[in-house]
Amino acid sequence: MFGRRLRTVGRTEGSRLVRTTKTRPRQAHAVPDGADGTGPGPAPALLVLLCSVAAAAAAVAQPLVLGHTLDLLLRGGDAGHWPALSAALLVGEVLLDSLTALFTGRCNAGWTASIRSRAFTGLLRGVPDRARPYSPGDVGTRLTLNAADAGGAPAARAALAASLVTPAGALVALAFVDLWVAACVLAGLPALALVLRAFARDTGASVAAYQRVQAQIASRLLEAMEGAATIAAAGTVARERRRVLAPLAELGALGGRMWALHGRALARSGVLVPLLVLAATAVGGVRLASGSLSVGGLLAACRYAQLAAGVGGAATLLGAVVRGRGARERTLALERLPALAYGPCGLPPDGPGDLELRGVRVLRDGREVLRVDGVRVPGGRTTAVVGRSGAGKSVLAAVAGRLIDPDEGHVLLDGVRLDRLTREALRTEVAFAFERPVLGEGTVAEAVAAGPRRVSPEQVRQAVRAAGAEAFVRRLPRGHDTPLPSAPLSGGEHQRLGLARAFAHAGRLLVMDDATSSLDTATEYEVDRALRRSVRPGTRLVVAHRPSVAARADQVVWLEDGRVRAVGPHRELWQEARYRALFGAGGGGGHGGPVPHREHGPLPEGARP
Amino acid sequence: MTGAAGSRGEAKDTGSGALRRTVPPARRFLARRKGVLARLALWSVAEAGQAFVVGYGVAHAVDQGFLASDTRRGLGWLAVAAVAVLLGAPVMRGVFAQLAGLTEPLRDGLVRRAVDRSLAGALARPGGTDRAAVSRLTNQVEIARDSFAGLVLTLRSFVFTAAGALLGLLSLHPALLVVVLPPLLAGLALFLATLRPMAAAQRRALAADEALGDHAARARAALRDLTACGTGPEVERRAAELVAGAAASARVLARWAAVRTAALGVAGHLPVLTLLVTVPWLRERGVTAGALLGAFTYLVQSLLPAVHTLMTALGAAGSRLLVVVDRIAGPAPQEPAHPSGRPPAADAVSPGDHGASVSPEDRGAPAAAGAGAAGTPRSARAARPGVPTARGPAAAVEFRAVTLSYGVRAEPVLDSLDLCVAPGEHIAVVGPSGIGKSTLTRLVAGMLAPSSGEVRVAGRPVTGGTADELGALRVLVPQEAYVFAGTVGENLTYLRPDACRADVDATVRSLALRPLVERLGGLDAPLRPDELSQGERQLVALARAHLSAAPLLLLDEATCHLDPASEARAEEALARRPGTLLVVAHRLSSAVRADRVLVLDGVRTVCGTHREVLARSPLYRDLTGHWNGGSHR
Repeated sequence: MFGRRLRTVGRTEGSRLVRTTKTRPRQAHAVPDGADGTGPGPAPALLVLLCSVAAAAAAVAQPLVLGHTLDLLLRGGDAGHWPALSAALLVGEVLLDSLTALFTGRCNAGWTASIRSRAFTGLLRGVPDRARPYSPGDVGTRLTLNAADAGGAPAARAALAASLVTPAGALVALAFVDLWVAACVLAGLPALALVLRAFARDTGASVAAYQRVQAQIASRLLEAMEGAATIAAAGTVARERRRVLAPLAELGALGGRMWALHGRALARSGVLVPLLVLAATAVGGVRLASGSLSVGGLLAACRYAQLAAGVGGAATLLGAVVRGRGARERTLALERLPALAYGPCGLPPDGPGDLELRGVRVLRDGREVLRVDGVRVPGGRTTAVVGRSGAGKSVLAAVAGRLIDPDEGHVLLDGVRLDRLTREALRTEVAFAFERPVLGEGTVAEAVAAGPRRVSPEQVRQAVRAAGAEAFVRRLPRGHDTPLPSAPLSGGEHQRLGLARAFAHAGRLLVMDDATSSLDTATEYEVDRALRRSVRPGTRLVVAHRPSVAARADQVVWLEDGRVRAVGPHRELWQEARYRALFGAGGGGGHGGPVPHREHGPLPEGARP
Repeated sequence: MTGAAGSRGEAKDTGSGALRRTVPPARRFLARRKGVLARLALWSVAEAGQAFVVGYGVAHAVDQGFLASDTRRGLGWLAVAAVAVLLGAPVMRGVFAQLAGLTEPLRDGLVRRAVDRSLAGALARPGGTDRAAVSRLTNQVEIARDSFAGLVLTLRSFVFTAAGALLGLLSLHPALLVVVLPPLLAGLALFLATLRPMAAAQRRALAADEALGDHAARARAALRDLTACGTGPEVERRAAELVAGAAASARVLARWAAVRTAALGVAGHLPVLTLLVTVPWLRERGVTAGALLGAFTYLVQSLLPAVHTLMTALGAAGSRLLVVVDRIAGPAPQEPAHPSGRPPAADAVSPGDHGASVSPEDRGAPAAAGAGAAGTPRSARAARPGVPTARGPAAAVEFRAVTLSYGVRAEPVLDSLDLCVAPGEHIAVVGPSGIGKSTLTRLVAGMLAPSSGEVRVAGRPVTGGTADELGALRVLVPQEAYVFAGTVGENLTYLRPDACRADVDATVRSLALRPLVERLGGLDAPLRPDELSQGERQLVALARAHLSAAPLLLLDEATCHLDPASEARAEEALARRPGTLLVVAHRLSSAVRADRVLVLDGVRTVCGTHREVLARSPLYRDLTGHWNGGSHR
């Protein structure tokens, strides 16, 4: 891990910070914010190692130097440079400890920032669809807690190495003083290791049970928060609180057990270390009696045995290193998301917006979810995509605007492969509107203006109007400047702001993935009219569930089980009962929904069942 | 938003506020657990005694045994020490048993606070998700619990070890204390002084981390959209800023950690140094060599390690505990949980002259006399049992010149609306999306107070009513159906927990829920919310409303995920139920099924039967026209 980044040694702290990395081979092209930095390199961790080793050395030298100084002082004679040396050791340890704390913090900060940047970059440049396994909350955890744990690993490794210095030095010193005592301590160390391992295992098991119950409370809380509208109306907060907190008693019991296990494990290791020291003392005493050890030697041996047994302190650091490795895996998962890399090409100017799918196959978890070959969406026209849920409509929409790359085949816009286009060219010419748009947490105007191009306030207003959103935006507390989190918007209103965003940035291709599903038919019709009149003309690919939408389209692509069943005008396809059944209008007699064969005007009373 | 401003102001807080806020409840918390504290102290004394016996045994083994060439005696004293060591195990277990008595109640309290806070936040603003909720409930609570446990353990051991060492010094020679105490106290004072700025730095670091986590979660949630919009680079730049900000605050924290470590180093190491320096002075005071050796041992072997553990645990854990506890239990940017307050600065609008008025008086008028904007009941209405005649009991729902706007400059959503719904009536509310249909239901439900005017349900004003009063009057079924992890039966009887099995069965029958209930394993089977589709969730919510005892049902697009046939079945079942039904229509069929239709179009409001409204409301004609023949050009 250190060797890979040697070249960054000596860079200033500040420049390292903001830069993101470019370690991933998939990034063929420079990114706008000049991501050419790497991790903080080995320097910070080396500083930690240096300081903590020096502090440990000072600690090991102290018994020897201080004892000698005291001896000299007690004898009343001139102690020479020994008191000064003692003072230097004592003050030096304080300073070195302090520096270790400082460098550890800085090292952690640097590594954490670098890991976070890389994970962010990986996520933001990844294929959105491939990020599905990672929920927003999960990503938040990975980038905060996990990144911090992973960023703490280099310093923890350095500290681990340093923490072995004291016991190892003590053991060596002990070997000098007396081999037998050293052998006795050495023999006891494996037992200590065993106890520490059992400790980790036992607590691990009890922690898992505890966390399960904790997760139960968390998920109940989330449920209740999602149902807040119902709970507020029913006035059942108190009951919900009881329900959410019901597992708390069990959590308490499990927590108590955890502490008991913890206590037992600590008691075991708390017994072992002193027993080890006692054994060493006993061996030293016997050696003294046999005349192979001096009095001073016995005293030193006792002290060094104690220091050598302190190896258990490394366990915590080892834990941090192990945890850091696990956490690194979790941040790497984001860092290594398959990227949606952009190409170097632009689109031919003034192209009509012809879209063509050639031999396109999309797999998901090894299963084919879309197979489209030789389908053309003529430029400037509206093509509707229909099919049952799960037929692959949204996948087709995503492939057509390159939210995913097909596993096989190509999608061409005006003759250019989509994956050859620059981000700029692709995103300015292809706009998306979704069934459930995510609009961020800025103001209404900011949400609509979000896009690759700068959009004037007037364009925003026009787009809002075209999407039929003007009336409700005017009713918001601060109109266009209302922050979305505090705007009381319904699903349909959200959808219309998403439409407005797409309209404001409409290029030569506009993909609407069920983007008017929550609109009532009158509003939808208005939006459709506005789309024809006041939005930049271009190719429209519209995923639809309503026959009215399909009927207004120039052609319909009918998908079934991921394959194209037919392409043609709505009127022709309508002859097929299976096609009519898509819209819940099989025989034409059903109530509700758009009933195509009935003409305008009031519904007869008989329509009511 | 005042809440946001409040929390921002809090972030600048120097940390003293957190300390001030946390101390009184902490004192109360400990005062309620005097027994546990006393037992913990007793176990600690036992621990100290055990440590003393071990040290005493070793010292005697060396002094009187091995050094005096009496190996047997040395080994004997070591055996005594070994027995004392073995006794340490039960003592340690006792300490941990008492520890649980402190940490677990703390955790319980924090979990309760976190849950209360999240619920209150969610109720004040349904729909807005509080992403920090789970983090507060799990990570932060655990940080507090672990930090607290570490704090109790180290503080306890420090206090007992330090007291023992100081007592030992005192017993050796009082002059030793004069030498040792000042640097020790100075170091501790310096350490205490760092706690506040440390807590402030910790708070800033935590806030920076939270902002980063929030941004990450938002970026993930919007990943598809920002990829489609090409705004990825923008979000990446913001992420880089936040990452840099978090790193900067972590570096500040590192500086303070260095200062704190130095302070504790002073407390631990300086007494040793002063002791060394003052050896000649102490010898003059008659301190013997043996006493000096003993003092030296006390300092190096007990005080120094104790200060070391205190250093590692207290600084980090202490300030972390303070910050986390304050985040969970401290003041939240809270809005009232029950929306009894009026929308901010709403204009008081005098009753307008363009509002539609439908009063009970109109109900008796013949259909043709619907002049102006009055609705008329269909004659079929009267045949329905339970529907009172014209001037019968109080109206099921009554609006008197109700105006509502969301802000001073905002256009009103409802402008001086008058409306009267008779008991037992089935009303459909129709209008373009965003016109204020949901607002209307929230007003009826008493969840929202009008800017002016009055809303009555069954003759009683609903604004400011308690949850119980309102719950007895009406049921509001929102678009987002609430289903929770309980049994199927618990989910169905949510609004009427005392419902008997026969009633539940009747509801299941009339909503044709049997197949769903059977698929889920019967009424007593546990229900897992993620196993239900949106439509099934809505069916459960509708069944719940069907079963409830409230006389008024308000459905706010509560059937939008159902297919038309299921929607019709559900609505008919709910209409058959005795009581009044107000439906925000998602499809035209809902309006056709209703006794009367209320058309909201912002400026005009028209109410009447389907036919009347068709005749009078151009908007309704428009809506039905498109709804009806939408597929034909």
